[in-house]
Amino acid sequence: MGNKKLDISNKLIGKDLIKYFILIYWIFFWLLNVVDKAVGAAHFLFVGKDRFAQIERFFDSLGFGEPIIANIALIITVGLETFALVFFCGALYHFAKKNINASSSWFFIGIALTLITFTYFSVGDQVFGDHFELLEHGLFWFIGLLSWIIFIRVDKIQIFDNFSIGKKQFIASTVFIVSITTITTFAIFWHNHTSFVERTQAVEAVKITENKYKIQFPFLAGSKAFENSIAKFKTDNPTENINYIYTAPAQLRLAESDGLIIYIQTKKK
Amino acid sequence: MKEKKLIQYLILIHWTFFYATTVIDKIVPDVYPLWVGADFYTLFIKFFASLGLTDPIFATIALAGISFIEIVAFVCFLFSLFSLYKGKDKISEQWFYRGIAFSVLLFSFFSIGDQVFGDRFALLEHGIFWIILVVSWVVYKYNSLTEEIIIKFSLSKDIKIGLVVGILLTLITSVSLLDFSKSTFANKTQPVQSEEVVEGVYKFDIPFLGDKFTMENTIKAFEEKHPDLKVNYIYTGPDELNSKKKTHMLLYVFTEKQN
Repeated sequence: MGNKKLDISNKLIGKDLIKYFILIYWIFFWLLNVVDKAVGAAHFLFVGKDRFAQIERFFDSLGFGEPIIANIALIITVGLETFALVFFCGALYHFAKKNINASSSWFFIGIALTLITFTYFSVGDQVFGDHFELLEHGLFWFIGLLSWIIFIRVDKIQIFDNFSIGKKQFIASTVFIVSITTITTFAIFWHNHTSFVERTQAVEAVKITENKYKIQFPFLAGSKAFENSIAKFKTDNPTENINYIYTAPAQLRLAESDGLIIYIQTKKK
Repeated sequence: MKEKKLIQYLILIHWTFFYATTVIDKIVPDVYPLWVGADFYTLFIKFFASLGLTDPIFATIALAGISFIEIVAFVCFLFSLFSLYKGKDKISEQWFYRGIAFSVLLFSFFSIGDQVFGDRFALLEHGIFWIILVVSWVVYKYNSLTEEIIIKFSLSKDIKIGLVVGILLTLITSVSLLDFSKSTFANKTQPVQSEEVVEGVYKFDIPFLGDKFTMENTIKAFEEKHPDLKVNYIYTGPDELNSKKKTHMLLYVFTEKQN
């Protein structure tokens, strides 16, 4: 019985699947980058990043406050990203049609455009002095380069070529997966049921000294919780006037266990 | 052009520009028109001061030493690129190897420094660049299955379709981008509207483009609109109160009635 195999997937085998994953990854990567530029600001179901604001501020820091400069830089970026997207789509199309050579050529141009894009970004990061972005773009450049190597060399790599699994193992793993999923799902829903209210709920202020109070917010608290807490504080202390709020810096909080902590200083009305 | 050579060009161009801008950053240490860069001098002074070495000579010597290695690496990559262009592949590879060797040495020094100064984020950053350099060298040498694959840019039917789709998508996205830029550029200086969230407490949601001038204009407009109110205190909403990436900056103004 243990020798009987349950064939879960006999259509796609390892190496093709890896190439599909690489192609689909880069298609979605560039597609969403292009959409991000087209959409602009945050909308319902898409927040993205306000690239115009980011690039405009970057150029303003160089002394070029006029929006035309940021627009030109963004249009060049959009051109590179769009063509990378188109060439990855072409590579996927040819790969699905089993035109392997055509697929490799289209993929190669997509990768070349990706590398050029990230080199262009890296130069910008150095000029604008943003070393976090430099690291990010350097990493993506590296991922692009590695994607190319894996894409062309995956056929030379020894990979198991089926995803068969023994019936006994299949039943045992299914029992484990279902049990743990049930427990985890229950825990998540229970936490949502008991804690979601913290997002907006007012937090009680604790008196520290004669005119100083502490409010310790839960992690879920947003701006509404802050505003409701201030409203509650004013209602509870009608004779006090808030004249200063101090936000406890990260160094004063207990590692990852403390959320936002504020101290309120008051004076008598 | 051969596929292998094209990848080599892309690798060399990346590292040549990387080191060119790094060297410029050392030559231009402060903020100037056309160049912002990072202030490595201040960073080094602070690092050495944290060790108890407050004399600026230590930071200056360390920065000069680092810059020297960066210049050597830049020259190696530049010569490698030039040799590749001239068709001297063997010499190009030798210069590239030298550039990689100096770069790996540089990032090893950085990593040692990061440990000594206790900067774990910089350690991660330098470790990542170190491995990218090592892999760049491997890819430079072994990037293609065969030396014979030639990349041709013939305008076949599918390439033409790809180019047309690419141009159309670029145009559509650019129009959308220009429209967005036109409609939001005013946010750079325009005062932000207030919302009274608690009696006497007003909230301002400063947009992503907003800077110090937006803030000044906002407060000015608020005071003109509410001559009966006195601004007692301005509180910057910390990041924890923001809706992740959707909100740029929250500002709360606490007021009281003028006597």
